[in-house]
Amino acid sequence: MSAAAAGARQPAADGKDFLIADGLRREFGGVRACADATFGIRRGAITSLIGPNGAGKSTVVGIVGGAIAPSAGRIVFDGSDITAMPPHDRARIGLVRTYQLSSEFGRLTVLENLLVAAPSQRGERMRTLLLGKRYWRTQERELLDQARSLLDRFALSHMQDEYAGNLSGGQKRLLEIMRALMCQPKLLLLDEPMAGVNPTLARSIEGYLAGLAGEGLTMLLVEHELGLVERLSESVIVMAQGKVIATGTMPELRARPEVLHAYLVG
Amino acid sequence: MSAAFVYYTTTILVYLGVDILAVWSLNLQYGVTGIYNFAWIMFQAVGAYTAGVLTLGPDTSNGGFQQYILGVRLPEPLPVLVAGAVAGVVALVVGMVALRRLRTDYQAMVMLVISVIAVLLVENVTGLFNGPAGLSLVPQPYGSLPLSSLGYQWFYVALTAVICLVVYLFVHRVTSSPLGRALRATRDNEDAAQALGKDVVQLRLFAFVFGGVVAGISGAVLILFIGAWSPGSWAYVETLVVLTAVIVGGTGNNAGVMLGALLVPVAFNEATRFIPQFGRPGLVDALQWIVIGLLALVFLWFWPRGIIPERRRRFPAGPGRATQAAEPSEVT
Repeated sequence: MSAAAAGARQPAADGKDFLIADGLRREFGGVRACADATFGIRRGAITSLIGPNGAGKSTVVGIVGGAIAPSAGRIVFDGSDITAMPPHDRARIGLVRTYQLSSEFGRLTVLENLLVAAPSQRGERMRTLLLGKRYWRTQERELLDQARSLLDRFALSHMQDEYAGNLSGGQKRLLEIMRALMCQPKLLLLDEPMAGVNPTLARSIEGYLAGLAGEGLTMLLVEHELGLVERLSESVIVMAQGKVIATGTMPELRARPEVLHAYLVG
Repeated sequence: MSAAFVYYTTTILVYLGVDILAVWSLNLQYGVTGIYNFAWIMFQAVGAYTAGVLTLGPDTSNGGFQQYILGVRLPEPLPVLVAGAVAGVVALVVGMVALRRLRTDYQAMVMLVISVIAVLLVENVTGLFNGPAGLSLVPQPYGSLPLSSLGYQWFYVALTAVICLVVYLFVHRVTSSPLGRALRATRDNEDAAQALGKDVVQLRLFAFVFGGVVAGISGAVLILFIGAWSPGSWAYVETLVVLTAVIVGGTGNNAGVMLGALLVPVAFNEATRFIPQFGRPGLVDALQWIVIGLLALVFLWFWPRGIIPERRRRFPAGPGRATQAAEPSEVT
């Protein structure tokens, strides 16, 4: 661990960390987007990842989600090393991410967007294709119930047959979260879920996230709004210039000069 | 009806059947899965050549005037089935190389290049499929049946219809299942599909190979009907005719693309056949190509979803949901 990250908490060796990122590094051309990022994520709580623009937050989410390969470092999830695991396999073991930009399946309906996200569907198997509907109908009904109760919970039932591409920006954010939940995540990576959302909807998204945390879902939240970060998460990781510069609770971090410096000087 | 008219009609019907197989194949790859397969025609050609050399017998027959590989005579319907299988294997090999790491726009370029290379290869390695002259005198299947010439024409129409029906059952089973839904998700947003646990490469390969098999079958049906196949039949631009049919009919909709097959390769080609020649020789043919290109552009600009757009899948709602059937009703 580098000296610059001296203020950051080392991942605990007590096994309480659900995910451990150890010395993650990644360059794009000459730019070092992520330089020796080391942190741990506790089970059953929201951990926030904050930092000024260009701090490397999205790169870290990309590396943890598997879309970006790190040039050095390793990731341990639920006790196993997943550094080399492709993104679809990570999703299958419960590591699911959302995107900063809307990434809906535009020509699928809202309901289909949710159904398609469900893991291990019998009707998706190529080998059993010839067995037809009888083989997957029961599971499809269960998934339909599951998807509809999610739509109820997020108050989007009236949009179920609408093409996802026709939703408003805020509705797309909600869909993104619902779709990730259909995937049965154990750890949810939320990359700025409130970006570009009006304050009313942002508040309701905050409520949904607090509810999910109450149910024990582990989340890593990338967010700019520090008040929200303080309300939702106990543990906060601060990044600047590709490095983790501090870890702690929000009040602790406010007292740290290096954090203030990073935010003010960028 | 005069015999000539019946002969003409039945020929058109067989062509229509072949084109319907073609658009279902390309629609699964491009319309449903979002693969820009500009090499589509090559897979039809693989099927056609395979069925040809498996029907012609040894190349010493007919005075040995054509050279080709394999050269056996398999009983019907094996040449058609093997043609589909070989096209599928070629699709698997091409797909393993082209669909793995490349972005979709680069995939399109790779496909185009592969299509051009394949034609050059077959033209220049004359021992493969008789070079630029191509295969000819391929005997028609079930030729020993006691049928008149016109009777055989109708028989072949029926045979093509049966093949179309069987292929449709398979294609529909894919597109109406959760697997089809996963393919469409891959088309709409590859990264998000991957982040939700979909093996995008495997899904793409599946659609590519499945479409390749159907393309191969379509080629086999065509060569066994017309008895000949040469590099002129499968220049890379031929893929654009099928692609235009898919775009005009409605990408992602099996019924829509059928209409596209009727309108573009069949109706348009036949209607323009009767235009009197004017200008320099070959001008009308050239104009035909231009119009097909324009047709694709106009539809992409004004009606990008085609005449019969992809269907919106609705699910039955209401109380007692668990007891409701979960099959989507397809409403336009």
